[in-house]
Amino acid sequence: MREMAFYLAGAGAVFFSALMLFQPGLYAAAACLLAALLQAAVLLYLAGSPLVSFLQVVICSGGVMALVVVAVMSTGRDDDRAGGPAKRVGEEVVEGRQTEDHAMWAVFAASRPVAAGTVLLLGVEVLLACLAGGSPGVVGGTGSLDSRLGAVLFGPYAVATEAVALLLFLAALALVSGPERGAK
Amino acid sequence: MTPALQVGLALFCLGLATVLLRGRLLAMLLGLELMIAGVTVILTYQAGIFGDPGGLAAVVLVIAVAAAEAVVGLCLILRLHHGGRSGESGSLAELRE
Repeated sequence: MREMAFYLAGAGAVFFSALMLFQPGLYAAAACLLAALLQAAVLLYLAGSPLVSFLQVVICSGGVMALVVVAVMSTGRDDDRAGGPAKRVGEEVVEGRQTEDHAMWAVFAASRPVAAGTVLLLGVEVLLACLAGGSPGVVGGTGSLDSRLGAVLFGPYAVATEAVALLLFLAALALVSGPERGAK
Repeated sequence: MTPALQVGLALFCLGLATVLLRGRLLAMLLGLELMIAGVTVILTYQAGIFGDPGGLAAVVLVIAVAAAEAVVGLCLILRLHHGGRSGESGSLAELRE
């Protein structure tokens, strides 16, 4: 049962990632990426690490996606002039062909079905994991390592942890200083 | 090759394809996030296989670095936008104009 949920989450992650590649609009691409990241979080949970899965949901699927949506709203353009994979940046594209390609890739642009599919898939996976019972730590894994994570992070990896904390602080400073000030 | 490795590799390759084939900087940033998710899946699975908490520590650090990278990248994109420049990667051919 748990293996079935694992395979389902893996297939969902790959499917939504492939769908993201063909989205002409940034909102639809962000919705597909959100679905893929949530499926990856299910994979992490089933691979034996609920803590990392939680971090994936909170940081990547939550914070970063919120920032991406805010950035798309700030730039004010949802359409992707580069269109799908058929066109590369820097190439001279005839306007008629651009419209034609845009229409072709727009067939795959479907934010609402992506959202509905994500919710449905997550529900099925959670149901399968609940039916399987037991603790997470699955499919080839040796059980949860979360209880030993803190000792490792602040033991042998203490310098790296401090460096990453400093990096996050600098990133927060970049965000606080504001993009408008630099532009002026 | 185990299924987790296959999924992680597929996510990484699809993210790489997004970075290489899409023109807008925001779309390229989404591809980077996907690549990091693929690496995270592989690292977590391998940490579970070998019973090594150091692998999980690496995953936590990678997630933190990914968050910082996204924040700085989005700041740069917004700065370009407020400076009146395009969000296309092809238009950024010089460091200073």
